[in-house]
Amino acid sequence: MTLLQWQDNFSIGIEEVDHEHRELIELINALHDSLANDRSAVRVEAVLGEVLADISAHFALEEKVMRARSYDALEEHKADHERLLDDLRDLMDEQAAGAALDDHAFGQRLSEWFAGHFRTHDARFHRHLVS
Amino acid sequence: MGSIKKALRAVLLRVETLFEAVFGARLNPITQLGSLGWFLFWIVTVSGIYVYIFFDTGVTQAWESLEQLARQQPYAGGIMRSLHRYASDALVVVVLVHSLREFAMDRMRGNRWFPWVTGIFLLWFMYACGITGYWLVWDQLAQYVAVATTEWLDSIGIFAEPIARNFLDSERLSGRFFTLVIYMHIALPLVMLLAMWIHIQRHAHARVNPPRALAVGTLVALIALSLAWPATSQAPADLDRAPFTVGLDWFYLAVYPLLERVPGGTLWLLLVGGSVLLALLPWLPPLRKAPPARVDLANCNGCSRCFADCPFGAITMVRRTDGLKFEQEASVDADLCMSCGICVGACPTATPFRRVGHLSAGIELPDRSVSGLRDEVGAASARIAGDARVIVFGCDHDADCAALADAETAVVRLPCVGMLPPPFIDLVVMRHQAEGVLLSGCAGHDCFERLGDQWTEQRISDQRDPNLRARVPRDRVAVAWNNPTRHGALRETLAQFRTHLRGLAAGGPAAQAGKNPAPWRARLRGLPAPARHAGQAVAYAALAGAIGLLATRPAFTYLAEDQALLKLSFSHAGQPLKPCRRYTHEELTNTPFSERSATSCERGRWPVYVELDLDGRPLYRGQHEPAGLWNDGPSTVYARFEVPAGKHRLDGRLREDGKASGFNFESSRTVTLQPGENFVIDFRAAEGGFVFGLSGRTDATEDPR
Repeated sequence: MTLLQWQDNFSIGIEEVDHEHRELIELINALHDSLANDRSAVRVEAVLGEVLADISAHFALEEKVMRARSYDALEEHKADHERLLDDLRDLMDEQAAGAALDDHAFGQRLSEWFAGHFRTHDARFHRHLVS
Repeated sequence: MGSIKKALRAVLLRVETLFEAVFGARLNPITQLGSLGWFLFWIVTVSGIYVYIFFDTGVTQAWESLEQLARQQPYAGGIMRSLHRYASDALVVVVLVHSLREFAMDRMRGNRWFPWVTGIFLLWFMYACGITGYWLVWDQLAQYVAVATTEWLDSIGIFAEPIARNFLDSERLSGRFFTLVIYMHIALPLVMLLAMWIHIQRHAHARVNPPRALAVGTLVALIALSLAWPATSQAPADLDRAPFTVGLDWFYLAVYPLLERVPGGTLWLLLVGGSVLLALLPWLPPLRKAPPARVDLANCNGCSRCFADCPFGAITMVRRTDGLKFEQEASVDADLCMSCGICVGACPTATPFRRVGHLSAGIELPDRSVSGLRDEVGAASARIAGDARVIVFGCDHDADCAALADAETAVVRLPCVGMLPPPFIDLVVMRHQAEGVLLSGCAGHDCFERLGDQWTEQRISDQRDPNLRARVPRDRVAVAWNNPTRHGALRETLAQFRTHLRGLAAGGPAAQAGKNPAPWRARLRGLPAPARHAGQAVAYAALAGAIGLLATRPAFTYLAEDQALLKLSFSHAGQPLKPCRRYTHEELTNTPFSERSATSCERGRWPVYVELDLDGRPLYRGQHEPAGLWNDGPSTVYARFEVPAGKHRLDGRLREDGKASGFNFESSRTVTLQPGENFVIDFRAAEGGFVFGLSGRTDATEDPR
């Protein structure tokens, strides 16, 4: 099952950022698929740790790009990034504390977040770029 | 050398600790010497421009113009002039302690050879600026400085004619040379400013402005000194009299008295040799060079955080080389990298939560991998037990964090605490690997790796990326910045932190996560505020007092009061080795028309041999070779003697034809030398040979032979 789906309207028009968005979605899907064989708490947490690192790096790049283009809504955008990272860390701590991974809820949470972030914050940055 | 360095370090660290107790870490002048140097340079520049507006650049008017400045505007020009002198003296103090300190702390290795070597050039510039400055006042000190400096420069032997002859006596004083010195006093500081800029080129975020309170304190101290003890000129220069004693500025002119004992050439050799030796220090053992940081492109998307945090400008962002669709990647210049690991602490992929496959950050220290660090933290956590376990992350330059290890405390040492990626703190605290994390580093604002403490504080206080996640309760994260003498303070910090952690466990008031992003700090017993303020006042007063005293005292006795100076100095061309001869008619007809001339002169002259007797006893004997590549220039003589004042018979003899005996010129005089008189013996063949004293002199009587 594919957890997240790339949509062309997610594109913000900066090649390296779009490239990494696509990669992130692929990675999250691949890691999620790999959980089919091993759903132990250790494995789940390890996968989430990998996602956390990649998203952190992606946000670092995205914020650099925004700074370079003096994006006026950087602060709100960054706050949303922090919110996702906190969410993810919460999830990881829950896993570490022994909670079972609810596949459906997890997928829901991630795609809601991504789609929401893409539709609002990234779209706004896209408008900033083309204006 | 090693033991000198160690002893010096011990002394300087204690001074630093004392000043930290009085000024606090942020305003500690010992850790702000470089920026104070910049500040003093600006004071000297501004006051110098002001004084220059009123300064008369003619050699005969210079002294009077400065006197007028002090008379007519004591509270503007007078203060500016005093500030110009005293801030220059303070600059010497600050720069010398700065250099000693960088030497003692071994902050000149690797990439740091660059500020070290450029700093040595800056020392020379600073002294050249100061010495030319004292020249301009044209008082007795200036006269002494002019004569001593030109004599000293002449000892190098690169000038065709001794430049000291510009200051022989009032008849031969050259205003042009004086003007040249004025231009040098303007040009040298400009070049020095350029060198200062170059000096800090390899430091990211170099501190060129001291904290405001420290700048204000320094300026107030210097103004107070200027008011209490205005800088004044000494008596006006008079080249016909040698000054007996001069008030010497020991900050700039300390080596000058040596010139009366040590030959000038030897002193040059000592100073230049010493500078070369100092410049070589960065490459002398013990050399420790850890391998430089390495970029792992598979984990680098070009986010630039390592580039932003590197204290040594060793990282540049370059065009992507691996074909991935990113624009940039980080690139490490191995020569500039100090292997401090601060870049690793900045990398967003350096997180211990990654556990799929091999953990590698986008930038790594080969000697100290992030995966190794993760394992070490795990092992550290397993080692300790108790209800207030603490993992200490420390460095090699703090107050010996390793000695803190016990049953409840594990210590993880890093090259610099700034190498620790914040997610490690997240892991330890949130996964209960310990109840608290203590970050220990060098004295505040004096990180050995320059910016480790600053970036660490900002990363855990939500001021800099990568930030420690807001969810990590900051009352479980402590910081301690101590130099190696403050082990007691570090121990005390840990003890208080542990008590605090136990209080948290017992349900004490826990700071809410996210509300207060500042880390926990110990309350160490320090000096009460009045004592600190008094201490600061004492420190400023001591600096001002030392400058005020040493700027003119102790006076230097140049000439005893019953002595006079005798200078034998002239320039005279010896006879040609062979006399010129007329070409024969035959020779002329064989020479092309355009190359014909009447006479044939071979180049080359005989050396000039001079004898001078004082009261019938030999005072000087010297043979002087002709100048010029072809040995056809004049021979020059410059010699200075101290003789008792009183009546003396002088006999001068000169040979210019290379014969074995006999003299071409001989003259004798009896003169009465006044105490302190500067009596010049010149030689002018056109006037019949030796010329004794000034032209208007009446007491020189020609002796009958």
